[in-house]
Amino acid sequence: MTATDLADVEYVVRTLAATAVEKEKEFGDLDAVVGDGDLGYSLARGFEKVLTDWDSLKRDDVATFLQQIALVISSRIGGTSGPLWGTAFLRASAAAKTVDTIDGTAVVAMLRGATDGIKARGNADLGDKTLLDALVPATDELERQISAGASPEECRKAFAAKTRECADATSKLEAKRGRASYSGERSIGSPDAGAVAVAILIERIVADWP
Amino acid sequence: MKKFVNDPQQFVPEMLEGLALANPDTLKYVPEYNLIMRADGPDQGKVSIVQGSGSGHEPAHVMIVGKGMLDAACPGDVFAAPPFDYVYETTKLLASPKGVLLLVNNYTGDKMVFEMAQEMSSADGIEVKTLFINDDVSVEDSTYTIGRRGVAGNFFVIKAVAAAAERGADLDEVIRIGEKVNSVTRTMGVALTACTPPAKGSPLFDLGEDEIEMGVGIHGEPGRRRAKMMPANEIVEEILGPVVKDLPFGDGDRVALMVNGLGGTPISELYLLYGQAHKRLAEQGISVGRSYVGEYCTSLDMAGASITLVKLDEEIESLLMDPAEIPIRVF
Repeated sequence: MTATDLADVEYVVRTLAATAVEKEKEFGDLDAVVGDGDLGYSLARGFEKVLTDWDSLKRDDVATFLQQIALVISSRIGGTSGPLWGTAFLRASAAAKTVDTIDGTAVVAMLRGATDGIKARGNADLGDKTLLDALVPATDELERQISAGASPEECRKAFAAKTRECADATSKLEAKRGRASYSGERSIGSPDAGAVAVAILIERIVADWP
Repeated sequence: MKKFVNDPQQFVPEMLEGLALANPDTLKYVPEYNLIMRADGPDQGKVSIVQGSGSGHEPAHVMIVGKGMLDAACPGDVFAAPPFDYVYETTKLLASPKGVLLLVNNYTGDKMVFEMAQEMSSADGIEVKTLFINDDVSVEDSTYTIGRRGVAGNFFVIKAVAAAAERGADLDEVIRIGEKVNSVTRTMGVALTACTPPAKGSPLFDLGEDEIEMGVGIHGEPGRRRAKMMPANEIVEEILGPVVKDLPFGDGDRVALMVNGLGGTPISELYLLYGQAHKRLAEQGISVGRSYVGEYCTSLDMAGASITLVKLDEEIESLLMDPAEIPIRVF
């Protein structure tokens, strides 16, 4: 585990948190189309706490750091978003625990851990019109880029572009999970709020990469 | 709607404070996590039995903490799953070398929170398992669930696993018993009125003066159908019938019969319902071995009742008869 690894992970989490807080209203409006409008509020409250507690979080290694993030987020976010995001960080932490360095392959394993965790916890799968429909194909794309020998920067850009493309494409899907599923067919035509929020977060992380 | 309430946000903490003050020798209150636990807990020589759920179902579950029943309960706000850290911290505080069993009524929010708490405390090295209770026969999926809901029948699961733990059973054995009791327990309820959460101040849903909701959930969520008000014996037929048919219970079976009030129905009416149910079962050759009439799992001030049947065998009956010391005793 290198200091650079931890610094990179800290950058990603901090940007995620700051962006979620900054975009509270935008995320809420996205969710209000077919959901219950609490996505912006939930994420902002959880990540706000991450920023408040930032200096006191344990940083022994990447796994410990991410586990702390999981605990903070799931303690603060109500409804189902808390356990879902918390589980994502917890599983990413578990994946980080098994590697010596956070290289591209490790990032893919952490993302897979996160999306598998969300699938299991939320009893959701691809095609249910959730953030999984953006994050899973984007992770596949990242893996392809890495094995094709792309540079880290190319990998990041391809990852963000694929997330956006797939998030927008969730418009065609009918919601099967979460509050939006009560809207049934009426959910067709609007993208999934969680998927678009994830695309916005990843775009910001990639654009501002130090 | 008139309520005994100060600040609606403090409704649950103030209730828990009252509960703790009324039972200083037996209960301990940890306000940080809405946690009510046995004053002498955790007992390092037994499996800790913990239940969490939303508040508003009292006496479930904070008022059934005590020797022979729960070791702890960590409720959320009214009708809301407890926050994750309440469950996680409770699990850590209740950790015993024999392990912790988390009992959860099957609702989407609770399920996620408890599964995550289990995952996180397991990672900390605590031996912890989760058991989901789903006794409601009314609907297969509901507003808040994938699969059946957990309702008043959870009392039988709690009582049996708690008695087994008290006798010294290990975690696997306690789970075996819990799964067994859950598998032979069936419940259905009916609402005569809606309920009013203190923070909302008005009824949670609309139910006409002459209407009742058959198969209502304990948060007022929809059941099987809305019907016109009818005589008590017809209501008993409507809710006992599906319960009997579901397992099914039949000629020669010995059962525990619970008539549970949902919070706003007088005990007199509950006994009237009990009599009707008991006689109907007898007509079908089903004998009642254990009877329970009163408020167990309520829905705030909702007028209504649920009927639960548990198929008894020697093992279950013996566990149900073990002693328990809990705050809802009368004297």
